[in-house]
Amino acid sequence: MATRTQAEPLPYGIGRFGPLWAVTALVLLALIGLGSFAYTRQVMEGEIVTGMRDWGTMGGAPWGLYVGFIVYFVGVSFAGISVAALIRLMNLTHLRPLSRMAELLTVVSLILGAFSVIADVGQPLRAFVNLSRYARPQSPLFGTFTLVISGYLFASLVYLYLAGRRDAYLMSLRPSPFRWFYRAWAAGYQDTPEEQRRHSLTSFWLAIAILPLLITAHSTLGLVFGLQVGRPGWYSALQAPAFVILAGVSGVGLLLVIASIARRALAGGGGISLDALRWLGYFLLVLILAYLYFTIVEIMTGFYAGHEREQEIVRLMLWGRYGLVFWPSVGLLALPAGLLLLMAFFRWWNPPLLAVCGVLVNLAAIGKRYLIVVPSLTHGGLLPYGPGFYRPTWVEYSVIIGLLALGGLLYLLFAKIFPLTEVPETGKGG
Amino acid sequence: MRGAIALLMVIGGFALQAIAYFFLAAPWGFPPSSVAHSNPRVPFAPLIFIFGVVLVFLGAVVYEVLPQRRRV
Repeated sequence: MATRTQAEPLPYGIGRFGPLWAVTALVLLALIGLGSFAYTRQVMEGEIVTGMRDWGTMGGAPWGLYVGFIVYFVGVSFAGISVAALIRLMNLTHLRPLSRMAELLTVVSLILGAFSVIADVGQPLRAFVNLSRYARPQSPLFGTFTLVISGYLFASLVYLYLAGRRDAYLMSLRPSPFRWFYRAWAAGYQDTPEEQRRHSLTSFWLAIAILPLLITAHSTLGLVFGLQVGRPGWYSALQAPAFVILAGVSGVGLLLVIASIARRALAGGGGISLDALRWLGYFLLVLILAYLYFTIVEIMTGFYAGHEREQEIVRLMLWGRYGLVFWPSVGLLALPAGLLLLMAFFRWWNPPLLAVCGVLVNLAAIGKRYLIVVPSLTHGGLLPYGPGFYRPTWVEYSVIIGLLALGGLLYLLFAKIFPLTEVPETGKGG
Repeated sequence: MRGAIALLMVIGGFALQAIAYFFLAAPWGFPPSSVAHSNPRVPFAPLIFIFGVVLVFLGAVVYEVLPQRRRV
């Protein structure tokens, strides 16, 4: 049974909203306001205010920044729950402090992914009703909604909720204005050996259930593109595995950033050891190298033996209009790979540098997601239409900035209400 | 008792998914563009599928949160 800690204040600065936190929250709120305003323009005037147009005779791309970010956000969610599940299944005890951050990252990024879907469809309400009525569960597009949005998000929420009950119980023992919330979350949990055994069993089976769901969900998202036989640049057996790997790159990268910040911001480093960051660094390095290999294979196949349109897309990415996104993205993957290799070689793991690597790979992932979505729509049609054109407008940029700010605000709010890492029983980390 | 309810929810959830997928949603067949193969046999069959997914994971919550019945 846990040690009683009634007289102690809440750990990790929970419930204490300082001026820096308030200013950050205000800035994020302002950005959310900008995104909301832009979205209201889109709802009132239609998608004409975006850069998206129909392909073919309209000469545009019907998917753009929004779909790129749907794929990005869902990708980020990959690492969160997979790391949490791996910690449980492989008993990686030194990574346990990262577990809740990872779970929260998954939940927040999936919420943002769902909002990106809403932003992308012209009539969200009609989309919800018709999708619920007429969609085929066999379709990869529907699989994305069910497996990712409903199954994956719900599973992640369940995982987060159940894993947080122990801490909610410990927090409910301390005086605070959120006591009612902690009691509700704990739902009668008292950290008895029987409850610990039961939770261990549940989390084990949840982890077992989540891992295949996760691979299926991300592969399904890849298949939305990869199964389109008439769309050079998309139609590839590599799409699904490449989606999973890049998802891992962006998610682990962001987790590294959050873990590095938490290690600095929380008292006692939040229990996050350098060992944990090093493990994430190695994991990120392997994923980046795997993805670079995938990129090289994809480019070589498309360029050497691809269809005429396939070669056109590869040419555009290497030397054409999309080279401005492609080469920086590759560079932003190669640079962190080099830095991580150096850190591994010299056994010098520097948390700020690891965080920089995390930021760089996320910028690269955004670029790569954009390149997955757009070039095949503007230049990949097999019908005899001319090349299309797509450039995001301020509305799309503002909505995406608003969504990113919303994610940041949700994370910040959670961190001030609930501990991001496990609460020590003895009340360390105040 | 709690274990039995959770197990029932898991089995029921998977069963709902299978039923919705194979028997309630639009049937497999050719040509896939025909109305017979694109409209679901039961309206809102996709929602039943989603409910099945949710039910499976809800089983875990029931198993952990539902209090054990006290032995007399």
